[in-house]
Amino acid sequence: MSRLLEINHLKKYFPIRGGLLNRRVADFRAVDDVSFTLQEGKTLGLVGESGSGKTTIGKCILRLLEPTSGQILYDGQDITHIKARELRRLRSEIQMIYQAPAASLNGRMTVGQIIGEPLWIHEKLRGDEARDRVLELMTVVGLKEEHYYRYPHEFSGGQQQRIGIARALAVQPRLIVLDEPTSALDVSVQAQILNLLQDLQDQFDLTYLFISHDLGVVRYMCDEVALLYLGKIVEVAKTEVIFEEPKHPYTQALISAIPEPDPDLQREEIIIRGDLSHAFPQKGCPFAPRCHAEKLASCDSVLPPLLEADRGHLVACHLHPALSASSASESP
Amino acid sequence: MADLLNIEDLHLEFHTYDGVAKVLAGVDLKMQRGDVLGLVGETGCGKSMTALSVPRLIPMPPGKITEGRVTFDGEDILSKSEGEMETFRASHLGMIFQDPVTNLNPLFTIREQLVDSVLYQQARGQKVPGRWKGFMPSVRQLRAEAQERAVELMRLTGIPDGDKRIFEYPHQFSGGMRQRVLIAMALAGDPDLLIADEPTTALDVTIQAQILRLIRSLVKQLGLTVLLITHNLGVVARSCERVAVMYSGRVVEESPVRELFKNPKHPYTRGLINAVPQKDVSRGGLIGIPGMIPNLIDPPAGCRFHPRCEQAMEICRRQVPAAIAVGAEHKASCFLYPEDA
Repeated sequence: MSRLLEINHLKKYFPIRGGLLNRRVADFRAVDDVSFTLQEGKTLGLVGESGSGKTTIGKCILRLLEPTSGQILYDGQDITHIKARELRRLRSEIQMIYQAPAASLNGRMTVGQIIGEPLWIHEKLRGDEARDRVLELMTVVGLKEEHYYRYPHEFSGGQQQRIGIARALAVQPRLIVLDEPTSALDVSVQAQILNLLQDLQDQFDLTYLFISHDLGVVRYMCDEVALLYLGKIVEVAKTEVIFEEPKHPYTQALISAIPEPDPDLQREEIIIRGDLSHAFPQKGCPFAPRCHAEKLASCDSVLPPLLEADRGHLVACHLHPALSASSASESP
Repeated sequence: MADLLNIEDLHLEFHTYDGVAKVLAGVDLKMQRGDVLGLVGETGCGKSMTALSVPRLIPMPPGKITEGRVTFDGEDILSKSEGEMETFRASHLGMIFQDPVTNLNPLFTIREQLVDSVLYQQARGQKVPGRWKGFMPSVRQLRAEAQERAVELMRLTGIPDGDKRIFEYPHQFSGGMRQRVLIAMALAGDPDLLIADEPTTALDVTIQAQILRLIRSLVKQLGLTVLLITHNLGVVARSCERVAVMYSGRVVEESPVRELFKNPKHPYTRGLINAVPQKDVSRGGLIGIPGMIPNLIDPPAGCRFHPRCEQAMEICRRQVPAAIAVGAEHKASCFLYPEDA
């Protein structure tokens, strides 16, 4: 199994301007030192609340946003600073599917044109050849032939998302960044789309980076999960491990907050105080002001590093020291 | 006990350029005092329209109620004049909506908005001793009293430092806090019925849990009756006592919460529950409902669910099923169950 994507110390800061002459007065740290790897053919879930930086990471990978610092390795190649010509080739390998299907489709283009455009750009396909490919793609995602000349507004949300999926598949990508692909859909349609995405993954050997705030969906879709809080990864592990033995207090709270459709479910409900705020003290753990767990002296002063607390289970919390003790978390 | 709210056979149509959309086709819903009823359904099933027919906030035209009755505490709502409706809304109803951003005016402080709604509800509602009783207080005194009440409401809804934060503007509040402000506004008139239309849909899960807990505690503290509209079955399982499932303009199943999740009767309800990714569903095991919601201008004849139903029979295509008792306090509108069960 190979590493298809590797992110090392990715940072994306947005300037906050103000004062005289509109100078850069501070940075908004949307993504702050994030590292993870994604194995080929697997699905990694990026989970977090709004403002945690999950979409920013997705956009940095496609180079829709320029990272402030850090390194993005795709298939062993450093793509952090590649030039436009290579970038175009790269984008036929990495595609993105967006959250709001209606807003990500051009309302003045027909379905055939929308799905056919990447074929023209990347493979110079036109005419009947392109048309045949588009129709083939449409069948793959469950659209009918007669939809070819229709416009996006004539479709329901689920169908629009299928168009978006077909467009992403047109260039035969290896990696797809799925940015909340079902959060705008009803549950019955969501189930259809999730199943479609799984079928496509098996059929075309796709690798997914699945961005979502819905833990139920993530549990269903992903092999591995990374939890983000304020632009930092707080916990990474296999999906079963995350849901069975969450270690970070934030993960525990998030899992207990999933509204499960089971009235008999007895569980401890952890309700964390306050809300996501970027106005946290720059020193110490960003989650400390809302944390419900036992508080250590170091919580307010030392930023907990992401360490392997169990095999293949990374946690950034002072309560969970690394497997081989005597590690960085002990030093002041 | 008499019903607090009784919606009977409500039919609602919208006149559009494409034709007449039959949005509600015979909704029956009853609520007693102290009930917490969840109204569940997918986009376009008419759950919001059902709820909006109680404060009569449906724009007419293009909307038109063609049949049915809505009674509140024995009073017929549909025959009230607009003036009577204003008094009625102020004294009996509170509403919270999905989007806490658009429902607050960004140009005014929370104080102005909250005090206004307290004053309005007092003036209209006549529940709180009116300003003409005893002596006539000055406007300044009225506003000061209303502000005290507003701070009290903020405390009740869990906004810390209400006496200071009341001077802030909506943008200084987070999404969850704005929703709390809206709940405070809804409670200003001491309502009998709180209608919550997707109150947590725009919020993150941790904040959603906070707001649901708040609503539950308000139910206990104030003895509120709540009609909670949502598309999220998990939210219903957590916070309601009874559930009504709607599909394309009708209530297809109604039952106590536990019964509905343990023993769903209507094929649509089953499909809906199976479509939620749950704990023990493995890869590929999720079952969606095939097809999509029907067109309301030209809905399928008979049971509107039959084109998507795996158990559809001949009769489903011709007749609309009536609500049948399928258990204690459990009703379903489906021909799969015999009339006398």
